Amino acid sequence: MEYIMEGFKEAFKLLLSFDSEVYGIFLLTLYVTLMSTVISTIIAVPLGIMIGLKKFKMKKALIRLLYTLMSMPPVIAGLIVYLILSRRGPLGELQLLFTPAAMIIAQVTLVTPIITGIVYNSTRDRGESIRQLAHTMGANKKQAFALLIFELRADLLGAIVSGFGRAISEVGAVMLVGGNIKGHTRVMTTSIAMLQSMGDYSQAIAIGIVLLLISFGVNSILYHSQQVN
Amino acid sequence: MKITVNNLRKTYDGKQVLSVDSLEVKKGCITGIIGPNGSGKSTLMRLISGIEKADSGTVAFEDKKASEETWKGITLVFQKPYLINTTVYENIAYPLKLRGAGKDEISRRVETMLELLELGSIRHRNARTLSGGEGQKAALARAMVFEPQLLLLDEPTANIDPKSIYIMEKAIRHINEKVGATVLLVTHNVRQLKRLCSYGIFMNNGSVEIQGAVGSLFEDLDNTPMGSFISEEFII
Repeated sequence: MEYIMEGFKEAFKLLLSFDSEVYGIFLLTLYVTLMSTVISTIIAVPLGIMIGLKKFKMKKALIRLLYTLMSMPPVIAGLIVYLILSRRGPLGELQLLFTPAAMIIAQVTLVTPIITGIVYNSTRDRGESIRQLAHTMGANKKQAFALLIFELRADLLGAIVSGFGRAISEVGAVMLVGGNIKGHTRVMTTSIAMLQSMGDYSQAIAIGIVLLLISFGVNSILYHSQQVN
Repeated sequence: MKITVNNLRKTYDGKQVLSVDSLEVKKGCITGIIGPNGSGKSTLMRLISGIEKADSGTVAFEDKKASEETWKGITLVFQKPYLINTTVYENIAYPLKLRGAGKDEISRRVETMLELLELGSIRHRNARTLSGGEGQKAALARAMVFEPQLLLLDEPTANIDPKSIYIMEKAIRHINEKVGATVLLVTHNVRQLKRLCSYGIFMNNGSVEIQGAVGSLFEDLDNTPMGSFISEEFII
């Protein structure tokens, strides 16, 4: 028990000392996570709405695939992206492996199906009613889309926050494609995993506290917006 | 706005639910559609409103095919209306904002509707928290505020209290008489049909069986499906 308390004390000291290595890890984590969440949102929101509203062949098969991808193990996503970006892979020439860009691609692969699936479910439940209302009020396509976004705003925010949560807490995929290189691709989760294996609990706890605080902050925003809605 | 329907057909999952050879709704009148459940009344309304497409046949407005401008003058109030997740005031203002109306005009028109439908005291309430009757009145106000040429009402007063029905009927008469809107109303209520409508349509099994002045629906009741429908209505 003592070594845990000692770990906490050291962790707070480390945080208050503004250690450049630790804060570098925080910044890289936020950069990779935010970038992957933004890219996933841009892809997933229109995609989820389209699947929810349109009728097309193979829709059921696509939804089954989407649900499967929503629960895809991170290491599988990491492995796929690793194989694609590796020197002998189809995108090997880009030399992206073991860079933050590769980590973003891996996280986009993981997060996009999650946001798409949540947006699809919300659109399936209410999208048709909203579309019909927009039509009967004389809205054009742009105005109808704006109404849809307005009405689904809480669900969309929930989807984006879920995606962000998945991205920031993910370790397997970023470890595979990023390689946990100090000062280059080391993020909070990979750092904690490495520090734990090395027995350096104070730094692991310090990073863990910040990770929890970020998670708390993001979920507070989500909770607040849901209350407002 | 005159509506002319010709050879309109609609099928769901292989079952034909609507087959109307010919139907005309007179401009500037309140026309009621009555008939048993599953007779195709709501389907007809959805096809006229353009929210669904027919398998075949045509719906013409003033003898012309609907254009984007035509749809802007047509609206439909559902039995269970979708209310936007905002205040009653903002819900009613929504179609005016879509049309780029100015702030003063929006305020003036919305206030008129709030007064007409007696919604003033709940103007700031979120529309999602309204009771059934309040929600129907808010939806009717929203549909009427931009003075549509054609107002389609699909059982707007079903399952609501008599006072709310009275207020809504008064508002429907107002838009018909003062604005000149054509109103097409689906109802299960024979008394409401007689009270509000000058023309009537009786539908059965997806087809129009009788159309004409409201009185014509009540002729020879012993030998028409309308007769058996009315007797069932009164038993209930």
